[in-house]
Amino acid sequence: MRFLVAVVLIAGALCAQTGHPAVNADSAIIQDFEKRVAAYLQLRKNIESNLPRLKSTPSQEKISHHEHELGRAIRAARKDARPGDIFTPEIAAEIRRLTAMAVEDGYGDHIGQSLRHAEPVQLHLEINESYPERVPLQSTPPSLLANLPALPPEIEYRITGRDLVLLDAKANLIVDIIRGVFS
Amino acid sequence: MNVFRRRRPFFLLAILIAAAVAVPCTAQDLPLKKDSVRFAVIGDMGTGEKAQYEVALQMERYREKTGFDFVTMLGDNIYGGQSPADLKKKFEDPYKPLLDAGVKFYASLGNHDNPNERFYKPFNMGEKRYYHFRKGNAEFFALDSNYMDPEQLEWLTNALRDSNAAWKICYFHHPLYSDGKFHGPDTDLRARLEPIFRMYGVKVVLSGHEHLYERIKPHNGIYYFVLGNSGELRRNGLKPSSDTASSFDTDRDFMMMEIAGDQLYFQTISRTGETVDSGVVARQENAAPAVP
Repeated sequence: MRFLVAVVLIAGALCAQTGHPAVNADSAIIQDFEKRVAAYLQLRKNIESNLPRLKSTPSQEKISHHEHELGRAIRAARKDARPGDIFTPEIAAEIRRLTAMAVEDGYGDHIGQSLRHAEPVQLHLEINESYPERVPLQSTPPSLLANLPALPPEIEYRITGRDLVLLDAKANLIVDIIRGVFS
Repeated sequence: MNVFRRRRPFFLLAILIAAAVAVPCTAQDLPLKKDSVRFAVIGDMGTGEKAQYEVALQMERYREKTGFDFVTMLGDNIYGGQSPADLKKKFEDPYKPLLDAGVKFYASLGNHDNPNERFYKPFNMGEKRYYHFRKGNAEFFALDSNYMDPEQLEWLTNALRDSNAAWKICYFHHPLYSDGKFHGPDTDLRARLEPIFRMYGVKVVLSGHEHLYERIKPHNGIYYFVLGNSGELRRNGLKPSSDTASSFDTDRDFMMMEIAGDQLYFQTISRTGETVDSGVVARQENAAPAVP
């Protein structure tokens, strides 16, 4: 895990050397990210409005059906989605930098410990794939979440092996990926 | 024969001792005070295997005895598949006697759970990953420790601040303290949650994840329990430390709790019906620590 922390720090330093973005530039990158996330949410909202509303139910069949149908429809609408559609290279660099900052801020040991604690999973997922049903979800360390741009409740940052993914939890769908954030 | 006569008192004493050991201890059953809040606690239970059913059977026996009417679930409610058949085998069937008796289950999410379990009505999550509910003079806060983002922390801060309950009890999957060999504590989660717990008077924290039972010595007046062996078990998975107040890692179990005024009574009961830990937590600031 010390190696992981070191890699994150080096990655962050490299980002900084290759052009440490000014505050305004950071702000513009985050705004662009938020805009892309909002566009995804709008698409998702339009799709979900065509499905029967999922309410609290004793029928697991209904819950599974909604999850599958939502995932299928989003997948169809985003069939040409590619890595970087939401995590653009600039955003990915910013997220690597913010991840390194979380470690530098004195939470590195905590984050490393938290990652070890939470049954790390080794997965290589692709965009539009479902998260495998029988594989536990690795919890995302709170100190890392505190440093990353806020997300709406519909999507989450998740760690899968070395990658950071955007997961649509209700559709159980991988929305975008940054490869090799963790090593 | 003469030898037997001379030693008969010793034989009788030995038989009595053996009987006392073999019969599950009922003398320490909760006080069952009038108008108290009584509930059970289970964690890491959703295997669908025989041991889960046996723990559930003990729970039903204790429900008949104590009349508890709700259960808090510490996550890993359903391992593996999430099909209707899985939910039946891993939840509806083992707890059928409790469900039929009107017992309500309040789930929190573990790392093996599909977040969409929040829509499963028998889990009473109100479609939310984290939520709170009130029972008598106690308020319960079910958290999602898989994803403790700033939004959830803010919600928790506000909900605890606004609560006027005498007892504030938080429960979630990943333990802040644990001497389990496999996972250990989540110190990052601890760094974020414990200051909030202290600030707003949380007295009891329940977690699972580690497949054993451990009662931690109180930290800053907060009593931490780890209970992750209501279905799963990591036999001999504990390495006790100076932080360990009590533990059980050789079989499955569940907990009973009873809140009566300023006292919270707890009792940990094994798959075979043996009480493996019990005690009382007092709410007052200067009260004595838990008495085993």
